[in-house]
Amino acid sequence: MKYMNSESKKRSPWVNLSLFSLTVIAVFILGWFVSTISERRAEALFAYKPKVQLADFEPRNEVWGKNYPWQYESYRKTQETDFHTPHGGNAMKDVLSENPEMVVLWAGYGFSKDYNQGRGHSYAIDDIHNTLRTAGPKAPDDGPMPSTCWTCKGPDVPRMMNQLGSPAAFYAGKWAKHGEEVVNAIGCADCHDATTMDLTITRPALVEAFEAMGKDISKATHQEMRSLVCAQCHVEYYFNNQNKEERPNYLTFPWVNGYGPEEMLKYYDDIKFSDWTHSISKAPMLKAQHPDYEVYTTGIHAERGVSCADCHMPYVSEGGLKYSNHHVTSPLKYVSQACQTCHRESEATLLKNVYDRQNKVAELRNKAEELLTRAHVEAKVAWDNNASEAEMKDILYEIRAGQWFWDYVAASHGGSFHSPVESSRVLGKAIDHAQNARIQLARLLATKGLTKEIPYPDLSTKEKAQEYIGLPMEKLKQEKDVFLKEIVPVWKKKAAEREAKMDLVLN
Amino acid sequence: MTGKLIKSLVPPPKWRVVVVVLAGIITGLSFYAIYAGKAWSYLSDAPETCVNCHIMAPQYATWQHSSHREVAHCNDCHVPHDNIFRTYLFKAKDGMRHASMFTLRLEPQNIFIKEEGTEVVQENCIRCHSGLITDNKLLAQTSVFHQKFEDRLCWDCHREVPHGRVKSLSSTPYARVPMLKSPVPEWIKSNKK
Repeated sequence: MKYMNSESKKRSPWVNLSLFSLTVIAVFILGWFVSTISERRAEALFAYKPKVQLADFEPRNEVWGKNYPWQYESYRKTQETDFHTPHGGNAMKDVLSENPEMVVLWAGYGFSKDYNQGRGHSYAIDDIHNTLRTAGPKAPDDGPMPSTCWTCKGPDVPRMMNQLGSPAAFYAGKWAKHGEEVVNAIGCADCHDATTMDLTITRPALVEAFEAMGKDISKATHQEMRSLVCAQCHVEYYFNNQNKEERPNYLTFPWVNGYGPEEMLKYYDDIKFSDWTHSISKAPMLKAQHPDYEVYTTGIHAERGVSCADCHMPYVSEGGLKYSNHHVTSPLKYVSQACQTCHRESEATLLKNVYDRQNKVAELRNKAEELLTRAHVEAKVAWDNNASEAEMKDILYEIRAGQWFWDYVAASHGGSFHSPVESSRVLGKAIDHAQNARIQLARLLATKGLTKEIPYPDLSTKEKAQEYIGLPMEKLKQEKDVFLKEIVPVWKKKAAEREAKMDLVLN
Repeated sequence: MTGKLIKSLVPPPKWRVVVVVLAGIITGLSFYAIYAGKAWSYLSDAPETCVNCHIMAPQYATWQHSSHREVAHCNDCHVPHDNIFRTYLFKAKDGMRHASMFTLRLEPQNIFIKEEGTEVVQENCIRCHSGLITDNKLLAQTSVFHQKFEDRLCWDCHREVPHGRVKSLSSTPYARVPMLKSPVPEWIKSNKK
């Protein structure tokens, strides 16, 4: 006690007071600093003022548009059909009229009836109603196509998968089953989380494909997500019927071995899968869908870290405002925003660079088309001259492989620019397989006494080609007309009534 | 001298418990400040650090959509790199300024770079792009050296590089700067199989 007293007496009260005050000030500033950090963290969450509350699975793009007017306005420009390039654009093109050989290549399969270069995302629903491939179902369980065909058509799909309880329940049944439900075209909720606006995956097939490859999609970076949201649909897929009872027509990406054309072909061969049997050559065929993502990953842009959105949804300035352009289309429509962010060449030079690559790949593609068509026609002649199954087996596999490699390139939107080297390599394989088939066919036909060239059918127009493979086009068109006049208006009316009851919660 | 100073700060035994508790509170508060402000992230070069404070979102978003994002992060341009002491001194000075402006809510609607920052950015343009203004074969400067090097700033002409021309706080109202979580929604995780 004595010591303590003497110690405290030694210190002037002013020292204690100033020590106290300094500590108070330091703690006050520290506390203030910490509390402003927390406040402004919270403030960041309310940086923008949404007009309406978006429910989970809100499918109506125009409702999202109330909160994000610039993004929505630019999205609406996907309705434009005014832009043509030599190999693409945003207008509908009748691909079968441009390449009538394709009718023969797809003989016996829906694509020989009708195949158009698609229009913008806004038209997803209209175009699937209109195509002859979906035919004219008269009842929910009628028609040639399964429900799975809706999967990529709009944000009603994840809503329905959730409502029905599982993706399998959505895929089951015929296409006409969801006609009243899937009415909003590809839009906001297909790629965005309704609460955070973060990019998100809404199609189970992509998550499952990543799992099958032993990858975890939830580890994807933001930059990777800017391509992966597109890869939900712009990929090769097939309808898996290995468990037909519980999971019919289950949408699956054949990515187990990887997503190169060889790996996917091996996958299909291993499970003995074919999309259809060719009506002319009887070959077990594969239809490549649109391996856009797969081809893009082999290109130089992907290798340099450029995502789909960097070119197809470039950042734009409008007055003082910047936003990502949601007018998803050919970047050749806005070269200055898409290409010239990185490339300082003139617009004319850049366009030439693109067209050069596309034209050169198209040259090979046209060659492969002709050779594959010849192979199909020659195979038919072999069958007609009593060739046996055993004699034809290897030949038919060559045709299957050749057409798969051709289609891998032909079906990939923009693939000839995304990855010209890979596209050319794969077309080289297509030509090789087609010619292999034809060499073997020539030998086989020689044993049957046929040594002259097999005449090439007149395929100068789509109509002649369709007549050649025996398609009843008038009947198909009539069915479609009835469907569009009688069924679709009912679907639309019922959907409008259902949506009128959906809430719109204002903020 | 120091011993004496420390000794003079030692509280009398009667007060020691209280002082220890108070010191603990201050230390705890400091740790919380470090945690809430993600103080450790400022030692890194990650561009995400610069959007810890959300008013830098326009700067992040415009950079992230530019060609520079593949080759240069914030610090590559905005912090000097000629020697490590200058790097961290500059970083510390900048950081103090930003923290105080942000705490006092003095940040302007349009953020403009200060003179010291301008010099650093110009130095860094040259650091990477020196091949454009010197002639390697002759180990000398090209004839346009003066024009392009000393007379003006790179972005007097290259005005859009890399942030674009408009940089106000409200210019990128919906930009998604990194606050990302798992992109797979729960319902897909739970509904599968």
